[in-house]
Amino acid sequence: MTERVGFSMGRVGTIAVNTFTESVRQKVYNILLIFALVAIASASFFAQFSFSEQLKFVKDFCLGALSVFGALIAIVGTAQMLPAELENRTLYTILAKPVRRFEFVLGKYLGSVLLICVSLLIMAVMFGGVLWFKEHKLVADALAGATGVPADELPQTIRQIRAEAFDSDLVKGALLIFVKLGLLAAVTLLVSTFSTSMVFNVAVTLMVFVAGHLRGPAAEMWAHRPVALALLAAVPDLGAFNVADDIIIGNVIPWRHVGLVAGYGLVRIVILVWAAHLIFSRREI
Amino acid sequence: MRTKILAALVVVGPALLLAPVERRIQAERKHLKYGGIPVTRQVREVIGQGTAMALLAGFRGVVADFLWIQSQTFWEKREWLRQYRNIELVTLLQPQSVLFWDVGQWHMAWNIAYGARTDPANRTEAAGIKREREWQERAREFLQRGIENIPHRYNLYFAMGWLYWQKFSKWQPEAYARAAEYFGRALAFPDAPLSIGRLYAHALEKAGRKRDAYAYWKMLWENKNQPHQAWNVVEREVKRLENELKIPENERVFLPSRP
Repeated sequence: MTERVGFSMGRVGTIAVNTFTESVRQKVYNILLIFALVAIASASFFAQFSFSEQLKFVKDFCLGALSVFGALIAIVGTAQMLPAELENRTLYTILAKPVRRFEFVLGKYLGSVLLICVSLLIMAVMFGGVLWFKEHKLVADALAGATGVPADELPQTIRQIRAEAFDSDLVKGALLIFVKLGLLAAVTLLVSTFSTSMVFNVAVTLMVFVAGHLRGPAAEMWAHRPVALALLAAVPDLGAFNVADDIIIGNVIPWRHVGLVAGYGLVRIVILVWAAHLIFSRREI
Repeated sequence: MRTKILAALVVVGPALLLAPVERRIQAERKHLKYGGIPVTRQVREVIGQGTAMALLAGFRGVVADFLWIQSQTFWEKREWLRQYRNIELVTLLQPQSVLFWDVGQWHMAWNIAYGARTDPANRTEAAGIKREREWQERAREFLQRGIENIPHRYNLYFAMGWLYWQKFSKWQPEAYARAAEYFGRALAFPDAPLSIGRLYAHALEKAGRKRDAYAYWKMLWENKNQPHQAWNVVEREVKRLENELKIPENERVFLPSRP
């Protein structure tokens, strides 16, 4: 009679850290991260515009790069996890040990989330650096009289540049991008539990990514078609996470709204990881 | 197969229960005025398939920035109608952006209007002036829409006041009064720059309300809680208006200089 082992967060943590280490060693991850950093750094090259325009462009391009490259890292990073384990046959070694399949799935997912978190932090530091550099350059130009601002309005202009450059609400935008990427990783994990091809995993998740952004308008359009709405329900509403654009143009984003959207994302993640576990636990390996 | 159906039910079932949350998020987004117009077929035809895809993927800000930069190129090539189309489109995509409304109307009323007036294709000077005024009128109507979208910030009220002062005062007698009205509305916001207050007083005077202008300058002088105020300007204007309006000595801030 085999003894059933209990759930262990320690084992989950070990699998997560191992997954993270393996992902970081992947060439594709490093290339994506380098591209992301180059894209973020190049956002500071818009110079022939007013300071408000320049700061808006920097923020839009940096947060756009954060979102695009973050999504690619989340999808590609997660899509290769299970197929690689199967192909290299390392999965058999792990599951032969007293490791529950749920622990394995959860560990893989958390490893992917760790990868997303670290990537976002690196990109956010770069973004902060670019913004800091831009702000200092704009203030220096204003002080040197290059902007043609009258002397009595200079303190007001400098205050305005500083206020526009660093808006604490950007943290809310970054937080919701993080939850959205976690959600994408969960979708990829679910797909990879029943597929063996990494390309298929990436393709399906990219389709979900596009469909998820179309969900809001589609739900409005099909409000009186219950079958269509039921099918739509399977796709998470990714458009709800897009508040970065509104933060940049100065719209107020209450914490209550951020909490509601983040909570929605977390519930979706739990559902997806649970479904991934259901499929993986019944899969013949 | 049974497992896959079970997993599908696990995904779809609870997701259906999340529908009220999704509706609430959408309602909040509408209430807080997030996003802009949806990507309709008409919008897709104007911006192209690739850009529409970027828009659908959630990069509204980046798409708007690209169209804005493109509009700058149209301006350099003197392709004003194309520039105007892009400006309109950008404000449809991000109607809550003060920047696009403000700089957009400036392009129309200043740059495009000047370009239209001095266009060699104009048969007469009067034709050029007519075209200039049409663009200024278009800028005013555009800015009005901007104010309707963003009534909770001072910037566009100030822009409208400045537009009346700088452009309409040349051909509309009530322009200074309208400028004063909009500067006054901008001043109701606590973050409005102090320079708008001074412009407001100047506009009142130009609109023929010298007494009101004096009262406002006097109020500015007596309000010492503004460390960044241009006190030399306020002092000069108070003194000048006290002399011009022959204010009695007991009501003056500055006593008249004796010969």
